[in-house]
Amino acid sequence: MLDGLIRWARRKSPWILHFNTGGCNGCDIELLDALTPRFDVERLGILQKATPRHADVLVCAGPVTRQARDRLLRIYEQMPEPKWVVAIGSCACSGGVFRGCYNVLGGIDQVIPVDMYVPGCPTKPEAIIDGLVKLLEGI
Amino acid sequence: MPARTLLKKLKEALGEHIGQAWVPRPHRAFFTVKREELHDVVEALVKRFDIRHLSTITGVDTGEEIELLYHFWDRDVCFTVKITLPHHQPRIKTLTDIVPGALFYEREVHDLLGVEFEEHPDLSPLVLPEGWEDGHPLLKDWSPPEEN
Amino acid sequence: MAQRLLIPIGPQHPALKEPLGFRFRVEGERVLETHIRMGYVHRGIERACQERTYIQDLYLVERICGICSHIHTTAFCQGVEELLGVEVPRRALYIRTIVCELERIHSHMLWLGVLGRDAGFETLFMYTWRDRETVLDILEEISGNRINHAVNTIGGVRIDFTQAHIESILKRLDYLEEQAHYYLGLVTTESTFVARTHGVGYLSREDGRALCVVGPTTRASGVDRDVRRDDPYAAYEELPFEVVTASEGDALARTVVRVKEVIESVRMVRYALQNSPQGEVRVKVRRRVPPGEVISRVEAPRGELIYYIKSDGTERPARVKMRTPTLANLVAIPHMLKEAHIADGPIVLAAIDLCIACADR
Repeated sequence: MLDGLIRWARRKSPWILHFNTGGCNGCDIELLDALTPRFDVERLGILQKATPRHADVLVCAGPVTRQARDRLLRIYEQMPEPKWVVAIGSCACSGGVFRGCYNVLGGIDQVIPVDMYVPGCPTKPEAIIDGLVKLLEGI
Repeated sequence: MPARTLLKKLKEALGEHIGQAWVPRPHRAFFTVKREELHDVVEALVKRFDIRHLSTITGVDTGEEIELLYHFWDRDVCFTVKITLPHHQPRIKTLTDIVPGALFYEREVHDLLGVEFEEHPDLSPLVLPEGWEDGHPLLKDWSPPEEN
Repeated sequence: MAQRLLIPIGPQHPALKEPLGFRFRVEGERVLETHIRMGYVHRGIERACQERTYIQDLYLVERICGICSHIHTTAFCQGVEELLGVEVPRRALYIRTIVCELERIHSHMLWLGVLGRDAGFETLFMYTWRDRETVLDILEEISGNRINHAVNTIGGVRIDFTQAHIESILKRLDYLEEQAHYYLGLVTTESTFVARTHGVGYLSREDGRALCVVGPTTRASGVDRDVRRDDPYAAYEELPFEVVTASEGDALARTVVRVKEVIESVRMVRYALQNSPQGEVRVKVRRRVPPGEVISRVEAPRGELIYYIKSDGTERPARVKMRTPTLANLVAIPHMLKEAHIADGPIVLAAIDLCIACADR
């Protein structure tokens, strides 16, 4: 019963942590757009957090670069269970236009498990919100 | 001042240092100098002409040698000082003592083309990841490391 | 004597959206030394450009940075066009210029919000980002995408305006100008914001010149330098505009310069829309580019952006080098933070308008 209660609470207000693993800024800004007045997901309880220890959902944008890889792993490990990962943008899903560059390892799923892929270059805020909603429905 | 006038003025002052010089279009000028004389030429640009803005340093591997292009911006002219370095152990004296803005540009060229800048205060990697031992990616004969 | 400490910050940190590592050596609250570690967003685009064709590179350079994507393709296209020796239709140049200026408005407004947030002025963040949506709406209407507009192509542009577009844009420009004036009043009179930014991150004119700093960062230190005026490209030669400068050299001056640039940009877009010539918007070009080398310079929202393109006569460039304004401005950070209060760190960083994706490439 307690589990059910926790699950119900989680579904209501996921706190997100945003990390750019090597992206171009486009998706990062669209994610912030989703938090600002036009789309305002904050009114639904989705808050952006500054530290991994407070976050439920890790939102990653950009392909994983060699230099960012260890940091991504460390951030993922610092997040408390249960945790989810959303890859936003074509680069985070597969490496996108940067696939084959010498310093790029590929999509986020090359390093940590991903629960939701949101494609687009860059993803629109509507798509990001849709991705988050679908993720919550699955919890 | 048009590019031609500026080039003429520089030639008058620095005469023997300037090798080939050309003006491909308005607002642009190029000239070559010997690598040993680069430091003196740039010092003259800064001290005598008050041209302080180094836009960037471009390194090009032409196959036979390494070209370094120093792009300067003086009012309405962007002019480029070109030097060449040997492919084997390219070295050149740093410009950071006269143009402090060259700090990152030299580090980048060091990263990507392996040019040693003598007396540069800190040549640690700028863009390449920590522990990178796979050479300099912008050299012509470079190939990416195998995935592990 | 206070103890000396080494404080690492980043790469994931609350102050910036992008990864950048810092090491501050501090004594008490005073910063003695700053060490910057970049490279978290380095993808190796310069190498990738050599391995792809000119047309593929166009899409690659557009994705160097998601904020100033159009300015990168502008610099790349006009460089390749110069190598090809093609004359771009005047209408295309006007459309390029209009999108460049719209992008500047969007970038500066985004930046003002981020600075506001770092200064603890969350309301300003929400306000400017709300108004920024107006610019994104315009860009989406004319290009089909909010960010990464893919407007430029080698030989011209891919979109054209209709009269209906022009009218609807002009209407919204009035709103943007009004809001920019409101922000100008706000940042210069709101006492907490002024107290937080006045005298912070000081850069003198001499240091600005010696460190080769570019863009609004240097214009706020009294260095009158702007590629749009000094080395005109696209349609800038035909547009009336003022280069905004200030002499104070602190974070507040940088804010004022940028907000005034927004007003200037709105006027330029309005003028360009009303005076753009009729005609074609693109010409066909060959796929093979004749050998040669070219330097292409533009004024990105953050300052001078310079491209060096070398061709060896094939379909792929022999070398593409880009130096983005952020890389030029990063050099000034350790200088600005010297002897500063550590709590001023975020303001100093934000005031330069860092774009790490640009700097790392």
